[in-house]
Amino acid sequence: MDTKISKLVLTLTVIGIISAVALSFVYQWTNPHIQQHQAEARQRAIRAVIPEAEEFEEVEKKGNTFYEGFDSGGNRVGVAMIASGPGYQNVIEIMIGVNINEEKIYGIKILSHEETPGLGARITGEEYKSNFVDKPFGDYTVVKRDTQTDLEVEAIAGATISSRSVTKIVENAVKQIQDAYGGGA
Amino acid sequence: MLTRLFKDFKNGLWRENPIIVLVIGMCPTLAVTNTVENGLAMGIATSFVLLSSEIVISLFKNYIPNNVRIPSFILIIATFVTFTDYFLKAFFPDIAASLSLFIPLIVVNCLILGRQEAFASKNPTHRAIADALGMGIGFTWVLVVLSAMREFFGMGSIFGIEILGSWYQPMVIMILPAGAFISLGILVGIMNAIKRRGN
Repeated sequence: MDTKISKLVLTLTVIGIISAVALSFVYQWTNPHIQQHQAEARQRAIRAVIPEAEEFEEVEKKGNTFYEGFDSGGNRVGVAMIASGPGYQNVIEIMIGVNINEEKIYGIKILSHEETPGLGARITGEEYKSNFVDKPFGDYTVVKRDTQTDLEVEAIAGATISSRSVTKIVENAVKQIQDAYGGGA
Repeated sequence: MLTRLFKDFKNGLWRENPIIVLVIGMCPTLAVTNTVENGLAMGIATSFVLLSSEIVISLFKNYIPNNVRIPSFILIIATFVTFTDYFLKAFFPDIAASLSLFIPLIVVNCLILGRQEAFASKNPTHRAIADALGMGIGFTWVLVVLSAMREFFGMGSIFGIEILGSWYQPMVIMILPAGAFISLGILVGIMNAIKRRGN
């Protein structure tokens, strides 16, 4: 019986070692590509939410990572950050870019989400995202009609929860940015 | 011998088709068939894992003790699934993003473990290859047909290309989970009707 158990252990150990060695080679081969795709996607997202910026810099502040965007003259034109929060089915992750001096949001980009296709997934559409273009900082209200003030966000028909989730994430992100960059300073 | 190999191959395409006859591997079948691109990618990824693990397991079946055959199979399958996951993320990031966690979940696709247990662990390698190719293609074609039905009615497009014009009001339910059950039911019904006529 003893020899038998040792044989079982040996078999699984050998398979495990071979698998681990093989996969570590695969990892070394694929990981640079994966990293590169992620970096590119992040770059594209930052570019999309701080349209005036030419150069970007990664900054750590108060435990959060911010991306500062500078124009060709070296002036800081905006700050972007990745923010996330609960959506209808899973976590929604967005990139948000703001103009700190004028206290307004440049725009947002949805990085990942698992909202209902055809309904909540429309948070990635221009129509919904335009809600946050050039928006002043503040507490937003999600409305189910056309917006009347700057602080209102028009919900997607049939996807009020997804619309509210993104609005909430945006509000929190704005607070974190204000917190890190000291209000209007 | 060639006729037997061909029989092994043909088995999975129709007579013992994993989805519509054996009804196994339902998790990816229902979850990722909302667009043809996703369905096809999942079919190919699963076929690759099935083929590689059937080859390895049929080669080493005599060295794997019976008591630990299931954990051994899972380890080998998981290795190929992880490989597929890395590979898609590195070279097809868009497909990897839309299939997200359903790629790692191929590990628990009972089609793959089922074929190791029922076929690869009892048969020589060349027959295991024929079986894996047949089952893989059988799995893939049903996923493609199913996702084509769902994408067509749910979004009015096939492969992301718009077929029906803007006059078409998409049946959103078809790309939601409920649509997967409805289309699968209809597909299995049609297959059974065809089979009955054949008899």
